[in-house]
Amino acid sequence: MRDKGPINRLEATQHLVSRAPQALIVAGPGNAKFDLAATGDRPQHFYIWNSLGLAPSVGLGLALAQPQQQVIVLDGDGGTLMNPGALVTMARLAPPNLLHIVWDNGQYQLTGGQPTATATVTDLAAMGRGAGLQHVTTVTTLREFEAGLETWLAEPGPWLVVAKIDDSPAPARPPKDPVWIKLRFMETVAASSSYLFLKEDN
Amino acid sequence: MFKMRQTPVTLKKGDPMSWADIVFERLKANQLKVVCYVPDSVLAPLITRAEADPFFTMVPLTREEEGVGVLTGAYLGGWRGVLMMQVSGLGNSVNALASLAIPYQIPFLMLISQRGELGEFNPAQIAMGRAARPVLDALDIQHFTLRRVDEVATLMDGAVKTAYTARRPVALFLSTEMVGWKEEK
Repeated sequence: MRDKGPINRLEATQHLVSRAPQALIVAGPGNAKFDLAATGDRPQHFYIWNSLGLAPSVGLGLALAQPQQQVIVLDGDGGTLMNPGALVTMARLAPPNLLHIVWDNGQYQLTGGQPTATATVTDLAAMGRGAGLQHVTTVTTLREFEAGLETWLAEPGPWLVVAKIDDSPAPARPPKDPVWIKLRFMETVAASSSYLFLKEDN
Repeated sequence: MFKMRQTPVTLKKGDPMSWADIVFERLKANQLKVVCYVPDSVLAPLITRAEADPFFTMVPLTREEEGVGVLTGAYLGGWRGVLMMQVSGLGNSVNALASLAIPYQIPFLMLISQRGELGEFNPAQIAMGRAARPVLDALDIQHFTLRRVDEVATLMDGAVKTAYTARRPVALFLSTEMVGWKEEK
C-alpha cells in the first residue's frame, strides 16, 4: 500500500500529526480540514470554514509572526488554484518555518468531483517553482510522503509539497465555532511564545 | 509616475507634518507591525517610508484578499497590522472579510485610498468608489474618512482602538480632499 499511489489523505495526515505534534496547522476549506479533524481535534489546529484559497495566506502571516514555530498549511488543489498569488507572496517573503502541503486529487471533491485543472493540464509544483519557491516537490506514494516529511521538517523552507491523493471521503468534521477555534488556537500559540498578546489585547 | 496634488513627504525643519507623516507615525505608535499592501500612487510615499523602517514587516500582495489572510495569521501569532490598498482592492477582498475576518473576529486597520469621488478622471473607478461605503455598511464594518490633516492622528488612533475592541476590521478612507487627485484629464 505504502509503495503504491495515490496517497490516502487521512493516512498521510495521521502520519504528519504524529511526526510534528507541536506544529501549528492551518487547514483550508473542505477535506483538508475534515481529515485533520479526523486525526483528533487539538488546539494546534486552525480550521478555515470558508475562504477558499486563503489557507496559505493565513499560514504565511502566522509563520512570519511566530518564526520559532513550525507552521504547516494543509490545502487542496481547488484552494491553490483559487489563489495562486499566495505562492508568489510566499516565495517573496520566504519564511523558513513554513511547510505548505497541497492534497491534489484533480477534483473538487466536496461538490461532486468536478475535475480541476490539475486533472489535465496544470502542474501545481511547476507553478510553485515559477512563483519563485526554491523548495518544491511532488510525492505520489505514502512512502515518499513519509520519507520526504523528515526533510521538510528538518530543512529550512518554505516548502511546497504537492501530494497526489485518492478521492476517499473524509470521515470527520471539526468544531464549527470560528471564535472558539481562534481563541483556543491563540491560547496555544501564546503558551509557547514569549509574546503576551492576549493580555495586551484585553 | 503621476504627479499628485499633495504635500511633499520630505520635510524640512519647521515644515508642518503631512498626512503621510502622521499616518506613518501613528502606525508605529499603534504597533501595526505588518504592512500588507498593493501599491497605489497615493499610498506610495507611505509604503516607501515603511519599507525603509525595520520596525515594519512588509508584505507586498498580488491581490488584496491575500492580505486579509496574512493579517489573520499574523494576529493569531500576536502581531497587529494594516491592509493598505486602493478602493478597488476592497472589492477584491469582500468574501475574505465576510468569511474570515468577521466570523473569526480578526481586527486590523484598512487604509483605503479613495477613488471615484472628487477629481476622478477614470470612468472605471467611479462605481467601486461609490459602492465602497455601502459594501462596508452591509458587512457592518465601521469606516471613517480622513478629510483634514489635523484630524488624521485622532482618527488613526481611534480607528485602531475600536478595531481591537470590536475585534473586527475598521476602515479609514483617504479622501481626495486631503490627498489630492491625479492631474490627468
